[in-house]
Amino acid sequence: MLLGKIKMFITVLMIAGVAGAGLYVMKLRSDNAVLKANQTKLETAITEQNKVLEQQKKDFSAILESNKKLNNLVTTFKKDLQDLDKRFTKKNRDIGKLALQRTKSIERIVNGGGNNASRCIELASGAEHTEAELKATLKSEINPECPALANPNYVPFQ
Amino acid sequence: MYHFNKILAVAFIILLTGCSIGGEKKIKIFSLEKPREKLNYPMPTPLEMQEIYWHIITSKNAQEVFKKLEELGIDPVLFGITDKDFQVLARNFAQIRQKLQETNNLLLEYKKYYEDSGKSE
Repeated sequence: MLLGKIKMFITVLMIAGVAGAGLYVMKLRSDNAVLKANQTKLETAITEQNKVLEQQKKDFSAILESNKKLNNLVTTFKKDLQDLDKRFTKKNRDIGKLALQRTKSIERIVNGGGNNASRCIELASGAEHTEAELKATLKSEINPECPALANPNYVPFQ
Repeated sequence: MYHFNKILAVAFIILLTGCSIGGEKKIKIFSLEKPREKLNYPMPTPLEMQEIYWHIITSKNAQEVFKKLEELGIDPVLFGITDKDFQVLARNFAQIRQKLQETNNLLLEYKKYYEDSGKSE
């Protein structure tokens, strides 16, 4: 009777052990599946992060380039204004007195300057350059009111 | 009869659990990134300036200038500025032109940044 009970106990224990082992293996497999899924997610996240970082790098360099362009533009503006002032005051020039002495010449110069300035405004508002403007490389060929804008191929003598 | 009852019981259990054998179909949620629509305004139409003629009048040539205007059928009236004000006017025009150029360039840079990169937000 006792032997029978012991046998039964051992059998139950073995069955429980096998069932426990089975459950443990199943749990391990489930954990493994979760870990694999996590791994995939992490890898995807890293790839996405790398893409974001790459895009950020590109954006920063684009911003720097754009800033540089705009700063150059502002420098050009200052120079253009200085050149304009110089034209009126170079070597103690007095345009009023000059106009008294050489009225016709100054009238011609003023009208030429006015036309050039108008052309500068057209170009600044987005007008297309003419072929002559693009080809101009000599000082005699350029629009002196806004050479940087009107004649992109003109390199002023420093 | 006994076996029949057993089979019936098993069949009944299968019938009850049958729907859950394949499990519920999982709903898949996915997100598609759709880029923002481009504004696509055309660039402003360039200005076309009209030509104006500057008359220079001095105390010496004033009569001659007015006479010429009358001969051409133009009212002998001129709206004048002094040489100093002319200089100021030239400077003002240059500044307006520069502001126009700056604004247009900014517009182009924004367009380039947000549309060329393909990452417009």
